[in-house]
Amino acid sequence: CHALTTLMGRGGHVIIRFALGGCTNRPFFRIVAANSRRARDGKYLEQLGCLDPLPNAHGEKVAGLNLERLRYWLGCGAQLSRPAEKLLGLAGFLPLHPMTVTGAERLRRRRQREQQTEAAPADGSAETGTDTGTGTGTGP
Amino acid sequence: MTGLDLHKVFRPEKKGLKPPHYKLMTEAQLEEATRKAIEEAKTKLIMPPVLNEREPIDDVLAEDKILEGTETAKYVFTDLSYSIPHRERFIVVREPNGVLRKATWEERDRMIQIFFPKEGRRVIPPTLFKDEKLGTVFQQDRHEDVLNMCIAQFEPDSPDYIRVHHRTYEDIEKHGKYDLLRSTRHFGGMVWYLLSRKKADGLLIDMINRDLLDDATSLITLYHMLHPECQSAKKAKEQKLQGVDLIKVFVKTESQREGYIQLALQAYEEAMATSSAS
Repeated sequence: CHALTTLMGRGGHVIIRFALGGCTNRPFFRIVAANSRRARDGKYLEQLGCLDPLPNAHGEKVAGLNLERLRYWLGCGAQLSRPAEKLLGLAGFLPLHPMTVTGAERLRRRRQREQQTEAAPADGSAETGTDTGTGTGTGP
Repeated sequence: MTGLDLHKVFRPEKKGLKPPHYKLMTEAQLEEATRKAIEEAKTKLIMPPVLNEREPIDDVLAEDKILEGTETAKYVFTDLSYSIPHRERFIVVREPNGVLRKATWEERDRMIQIFFPKEGRRVIPPTLFKDEKLGTVFQQDRHEDVLNMCIAQFEPDSPDYIRVHHRTYEDIEKHGKYDLLRSTRHFGGMVWYLLSRKKADGLLIDMINRDLLDDATSLITLYHMLHPECQSAKKAKEQKLQGVDLIKVFVKTESQREGYIQLALQAYEEAMATSSAS
């Protein structure tokens, strides 16, 4: 793991994250192993894949992952950014990220609330937009 | 049986215009050059594989019902490791309902073409290969070009490849245009298709008309190898027939167009008689 030994001075570690590219209103992410102190789109150690966040003509979001090199960098002790972890969880390479699950549950609850408030508008009475969402410990 | 017609195999492809290149050679060098040309032609005439249609992939890796409703589009993940053969690559799809499944063959082919492009292949197959458009191409007698494009575009065991090939062979058989594919690498595939469906009569007539008796005999031997339980095969094995007799036995027992073949054989024999007499 040569890259770890050439860190300048002290601090800075290898991180696997998304680098944004593309044009206005047309994002494109490259999955990249870089030093954590580099700019987001700056010089990286190696490109490990890509992700196109906009669906194509067949309704799919295309993502490529070089799993062989990913395994190498993870073996070297690289860390992952949260979106990278979530993407790998979706891909099945890592277990599903807990925040993905939490996000899904929150979305579902918000949609339910909106449906309820829509269902009772003719009432006129204050939509007790019951925000008693006292988070009852949602999972680990 | 494919026939080695050097003029057709090395017929100039439509590339840029270049003035012809002349070389001065002795007899020995000329023989050497022809020999090399024949070997090259043989490599060009190697038959592409004929496979059965592939089974659709239907494998679910994980089901996460929690994710239902979070995404609007599906994610397709491709493994981009360089040293894996394309057949063993992992291509998985995460559907909006949370199911993680292996990608279908069409999705696989598309993704592999996106990330590892092959020359002559498009990500979305050209409209030429639709059934309606094939008819127009066949009227222009461009069966060979269609088949070359098909080999470049599809995998040998994909249903599209098989469908295009079968339609081409059917069309050739209907109109009797067997000579279009002679001396190309598609001839073997066509013969295999016709023999396995026992429609080889037109081809036989064509061969006899062009005085290709050896090809005709090899055609019938191949037919006997494919269908060893038929009558003519048994008779041929008992009596160990050769040449024209083999054809005659086949004609009597198996063929549908007996009259035509008899006529063609008679014409051939007359021609042989007159040429040997003169």
